[in-house]
Amino acid sequence: MSEPLFVIVAILTLGGGLGVVATRNVVHAALFLLLSLVSVAGIYLLVFAEFLALVQVLIYGGAIIIVLIFAIMLTRSQEYPRISDNPQWPLAIVAGLAVFGVLAASFLWNLPPASEPEGPGLAKIGESLFTKWAVPFEVVSLVLLVALVGAIIIAGRAGDRE
Amino acid sequence: MPLEAFQVLSAALFCIGLYGVLARRSAVLILMSIELMLNAVNINLIAAAAHMDQTAFTGQIIAIFVITVAAAEVGLALAIILRIFRNRSTVNVDEVDLMKW
Amino acid sequence: MPETNLTSNLHLLLPEFLLATLAFAVFAIDLLLPANRKKLLAWVSVAGLIGLLALALALLWGENEEMYGGLIKVDSYALFFKSFFILLGIFIILSSVDYVGKHLSHPGEYYGLILFSVLAMNVMAASREILTAYVALELMSFSFYIMVSYARYNPRSNEAGIKYVLIGAFSSAILLFGISMLYSTIGVTHFADISATLANAGDASPALWVGLALILVGLGFKVAAVPFHMWAPDVYQGAPLPVTAYLAVGSKAAAFALMLRLFAEAFMPSIDDWQIIVAIIAAITMTVGNLVAIAQHNIKRLLAYSSIGQVGFLLVGIAALSETSPLASNGVMLHIVGYSFTNLAVFVGIIAFFNMTGKEEIADFSGLADRHPFLAAAMAIGMFSLAGLPFFAGFTTKFYLFTAAANEGLLWLAGLAIVNSLISLYYYQVEIRHMYIQPAPDMEGKLEPASAHNPHPPPVGGGAEDASRHSPTPLIIGVLILMVLGTFFVGVYPFPIVEALDAATSAILPGAGS
Repeated sequence: MSEPLFVIVAILTLGGGLGVVATRNVVHAALFLLLSLVSVAGIYLLVFAEFLALVQVLIYGGAIIIVLIFAIMLTRSQEYPRISDNPQWPLAIVAGLAVFGVLAASFLWNLPPASEPEGPGLAKIGESLFTKWAVPFEVVSLVLLVALVGAIIIAGRAGDRE
Repeated sequence: MPLEAFQVLSAALFCIGLYGVLARRSAVLILMSIELMLNAVNINLIAAAAHMDQTAFTGQIIAIFVITVAAAEVGLALAIILRIFRNRSTVNVDEVDLMKW
Repeated sequence: MPETNLTSNLHLLLPEFLLATLAFAVFAIDLLLPANRKKLLAWVSVAGLIGLLALALALLWGENEEMYGGLIKVDSYALFFKSFFILLGIFIILSSVDYVGKHLSHPGEYYGLILFSVLAMNVMAASREILTAYVALELMSFSFYIMVSYARYNPRSNEAGIKYVLIGAFSSAILLFGISMLYSTIGVTHFADISATLANAGDASPALWVGLALILVGLGFKVAAVPFHMWAPDVYQGAPLPVTAYLAVGSKAAAFALMLRLFAEAFMPSIDDWQIIVAIIAAITMTVGNLVAIAQHNIKRLLAYSSIGQVGFLLVGIAALSETSPLASNGVMLHIVGYSFTNLAVFVGIIAFFNMTGKEEIADFSGLADRHPFLAAAMAIGMFSLAGLPFFAGFTTKFYLFTAAANEGLLWLAGLAIVNSLISLYYYQVEIRHMYIQPAPDMEGKLEPASAHNPHPPPVGGGAEDASRHSPTPLIIGVLILMVLGTFFVGVYPFPIVEALDAATSAILPGAGS
């Protein structure tokens, strides 16, 4: 039952990804990324990880893509909208395919036992985050603070003394 | 859907992102490719947790943290990119290359 | 799992809580201070760190507690590294004071970021679980991304920053994919659980080994091992000088504190599989780092390649890890300590020189021995130690590492390491020769042209108010003296430190008697 759904969502995800790395237009790349990331949220729904699908759409679709598009708009150069790639991109294709070969082979070598996916539910995730995983939770809150302070210092104009 | 389908999907997305990092010149596009790689990681983690680790669901917790750190990283990287653009009007990483061997 | 034991020993985390509080306090005080009193922030940070060091030693001495169900462990290993990182933070802040005052804006955030990075390093050394270690690694990396880009109008600093962020994010993605493969095959992330699973994994899926390989690649990028080192010279050269010093010493020490714990506690059962790979990476890293260093003209790039070479030596120690002998583990930790004193002796000398003259090419150091004999002597001592000459820290620590390698049967690696030490002697003596034998260029009355690498040259013929231009400040001299003393101490009388190391090693390798 879920096979055709999986195939559709997988095609959207990979197609969006290919769009990001191949398109000639930066804004299109951002939109392809949006497509890919929202499809990934669909993947999460297929394994019943509803909270994570929600977080994915909110954070990636709602925040990261917006910030990326802002940055694209603010950093337009003469090349916009056509962009060119590294002249060594054929090597990159070879590298990508080689790594994919290794990874896929290792995943398919010993197939894991068949099982049905099951999600833990929001209550359990919340409880776990604040009790069992409290240390990384606190540290990651500092990560966010440091990123915020850093972004303001580096990109801001106020208080220049140099 | 068996677990290995999700794993192969995650490997494919990871390698698409890897190609993007190696082939693109604009820092913003490299950043987008890195986001693809991080999402591939999350697919692997969440699918594995849902199939195999249903009592402790560690993978889903790790995925939450990966999303958080990735968001912070994007914000910081874009701040630096904006600063470079204001100073030098380019965001191509091979044009930002004052320092050689 | 009982919920009650999660918060029962919370006081053991007091140093980390207070460290975060101190950082916030520095941010807050920064808002209240007028622009010409910003140096107070540095003194507040240092005073706070000294207090925290005393508190950590008093509170955590002899403790051996796991917290939060094994996420972090408060033991001698963690305490050793916490003390080390706090001391490192103190010395870095003290050496940055003049530089920050003259060249960088936002000093409050600078000191706050150093404090946050010390916090992150503490958690990295104490973590016994992969997610905690990763998140702490990211906190440290973020602090460094920002500090490297701190000179906002210096294009080299910008370039260093963007290269560092992109490589850092890329390597994090690789590291995480490796972690996800590890998780999807064995389903656990605590080091003790990984170790137990690996011990029974006779016919494990190849996904496990590919995952471990990816984790190694990701960590290799983080410490700049070869062939993942390409970012290091540019980032070291572009970053502000005190940040380069901190990067060279601190980020490597923390990464190795994490790696040592990871390999000793989690991956030990599979040592036969990864030992040879780590040994090969160590060999390549040492050799490439030392050979390319020979061609460098800029002293920051030279030290970057020398740093890469030192990472090779540390990887020798990791390759030589053994469940029965503490030599390798002690060797890695001792090398971290000795290498830090040594490297800081050289770097603080360079910072002092830059504060006076604004120059950082090797040729600029000509005749330093005539103009500032103590500065030249301190830097020469540091370089002799880096090369591994006897009586200096470098000799003792390398001796430990090479003995450990030979003990484990990696004789070829030990031999290659000795050869590399000799190669490194060559490029250090070039610099020392410049300082002592070459004549000084005529510096009187010359205006340094504003070049791309020094957009803000100090004013020429500075008057009495710019006395720091003509001789190093007492503060920097004080730090230099401490670094030189530390270099000699580790080189000649390391035994008290080795005792602490034994305690630390027995915390992570219970079977390794000494």
